[in-house]
Amino acid sequence: MEDEPTTAFADVTERDVHTAFEEQDYVAEDEIVTTVLLALRLGKPLLVEGEPGAGKTELAKVLASSLGDELIRLQCYEGLTAEHALYEWNYTKQLLAVQSGADPEASVFSEDYLLERPLLRALRHDGDFPPVLLIDEIDRADDEFEALLLEVLSDFQVSVPELGTVSAERPPIVIVTSNRTRALSDALKRRCLYLHVEPPSVEKETAILCRKVPQLDGVVATELCAMAARLREEPLRKPPGAAETIDWARAIATMRDDGDGTLSRETLQNTLGCLLKEVEDVERVDDDLLTDLLDAAEQARADP
Amino acid sequence: MSERSDSDDVGEHVRTELIQFVRALRRDGAAVPANAAPTAARALAAVGLENRRRVRTALRASLLTDSADFETFDRLFEAFWRRLTAGLEDERSLSSLAAESDGLAPLGEPAVDENAPGESTDSDHAGRATGRSLAESFATAAPADTDADSDDTEATAALYSPSGVASTVDGRALTDAGDLSTAFRELTRALAGLQGRRFEPGSDRAAIRRALRTSVSTGGTVLSLPKRERQRTDVRALVVVDVSQSVIDAVDRGFLIDVLRQARRHWRDTRVFFFDEELREVTEAVDAPSSQAAIAALEAAETAWGGGTQIGGSLEGLRERAPDAIDRRTVVFVISDGLDRGDVGVLERELSWIARRAKRVLWLNPLAATASYEPAARGMAAALPYIDGLFAFADPSDVVELARQLRQQGVGGRIGYEFDTRENRQTTTRTVTNT
Repeated sequence: MEDEPTTAFADVTERDVHTAFEEQDYVAEDEIVTTVLLALRLGKPLLVEGEPGAGKTELAKVLASSLGDELIRLQCYEGLTAEHALYEWNYTKQLLAVQSGADPEASVFSEDYLLERPLLRALRHDGDFPPVLLIDEIDRADDEFEALLLEVLSDFQVSVPELGTVSAERPPIVIVTSNRTRALSDALKRRCLYLHVEPPSVEKETAILCRKVPQLDGVVATELCAMAARLREEPLRKPPGAAETIDWARAIATMRDDGDGTLSRETLQNTLGCLLKEVEDVERVDDDLLTDLLDAAEQARADP
Repeated sequence: MSERSDSDDVGEHVRTELIQFVRALRRDGAAVPANAAPTAARALAAVGLENRRRVRTALRASLLTDSADFETFDRLFEAFWRRLTAGLEDERSLSSLAAESDGLAPLGEPAVDENAPGESTDSDHAGRATGRSLAESFATAAPADTDADSDDTEATAALYSPSGVASTVDGRALTDAGDLSTAFRELTRALAGLQGRRFEPGSDRAAIRRALRTSVSTGGTVLSLPKRERQRTDVRALVVVDVSQSVIDAVDRGFLIDVLRQARRHWRDTRVFFFDEELREVTEAVDAPSSQAAIAALEAAETAWGGGTQIGGSLEGLRERAPDAIDRRTVVFVISDGLDRGDVGVLERELSWIARRAKRVLWLNPLAATASYEPAARGMAAALPYIDGLFAFADPSDVVELARQLRQQGVGGRIGYEFDTRENRQTTTRTVTNT
């Protein structure tokens, strides 16, 4: 059986995680709480998959805030290489050192010339608490980068040819997110615990709005969530996530100057840009669909 | 390293049932990693066995790697849980087990679960009004129906048949392989040129970082300036071919088979599906040693040409049966006339899923080879918002035109049948090849 890293969170309870989420206004189902707890207790990276806007990245931010330590974020993209993720040599400084000829015996491949990038910084973190390492949207990176991650995720160490092996004294809490735009390798997946974050239900989304946009009337929040849910039933190119609904709610809260607790058709039409990000999706919202949305809001108001 | 292994933490009965559960999952097609069972045992040791919801969550997190397997998991979990709890009750009551086994430490606030055989109580934390912060915890622990298109097509072309008669394939009028090879090479270059942000050594622009790195060994003197360019990656594609009567009457079957074979041969990973009223994968048949052999293989596989068309339903089948066939690196080609007798809402929903997932979605329509073509058919009109380009597809010159537009304009540019500038397009009326 492969060795597992020591975890620093053997004493953490489900209640602790739940409280941490509550304090950060992160609305999470029991399944998320239990899975996060397992990741902490077992010391394993957590692979979080789900639709954009489901709250994957926010999960890592909340954990970092709760731990009171650093969030180290590696945003993945196509073409991401080891030098952007791990470390890089400060070539300019090396050149100056070589040209100045100050100490011919000193190596220019030493700590003084090393530029840490997110992965190395997470492994060499020297705080009181482990950092949270967020590897965001891993599915955007190439297969080669995935292979690079394997050593980091399984052993919490990495090899720097000029310096030797760098191991983490306090393994970071690793959250890997994916939008499932491509299949990840089995090697990566088997190193992680797995969590699939479902798009929020109307009830959950309403609870999120009440926490994130407290200035918004509760009834209006319910209406907005019902309309967002109705909109997601349409075959959109980019369905709105919870983040878009929050933006929309903030816009509505800013614009509202009445107290009748209802949304007008005009307000709805003028603010749809907060929800929809593709021109084809905006064009899809015709008079009929607007009527459907308002009907959904009315029904939610009548049957909270 | 963990101080104890999972063997110390869970009993023999739990281990046995866990192994049986993993085997059952694999047998039913779930992708369970090789090291998942030991991880699951540790997870069970961490969450305890008292609460059904926690056990289910722990096993889902440690055994599965794909949400597509959730349904299989849920189905098999019920039987696993029954066997597990029955076995535990045979050995001792669940409550005494929890008290005796320090490896099954409960996790604090018990969750409400009507299915749980017994609610756990967390004596260590029961007195706490609220939970600790995670930092505190760490500190204490640390060490059908269109007709518009048909009106515009030439009279000799087959009209849309809502439920055409299926016929098995036969090979006729194979296209000149030379023409197609050149055209296909152009298309491959165009598609490879669309690829992403990765750089490789080349001639486009200076590689400043590499120049600095190499100059360290020469005391800062740059002896040569290395260059780099965007990497051309291999093309990955999915080709979904409508083989209903109205399509195969408008496109040369030999040409179609040759395109598919070229895609299989020259692109990195190409999967081919045929559909009419249902979907089936024919990738292996397309790989036959020759075009005639490929057609023979398709005949042997009883692939039917003709019949009605259920585009949305077929794409739904694709999503359900082969969701991994499409990812962000995949260029999806749909070869169809867009004459759909299915639910157009399903078509929209499935295409929106494909558009979100795929790198590009290109629709190749044999009817669009006609100069006066307009995508007024209900299925085609519904598909337009979700595709990156609609192109003609009847002979090799259409492939050349597709490649030309992609190379000149890129996928985000003004591309499609409406920008087809071939002179003969204005005068030529395509004739049906199936004669």
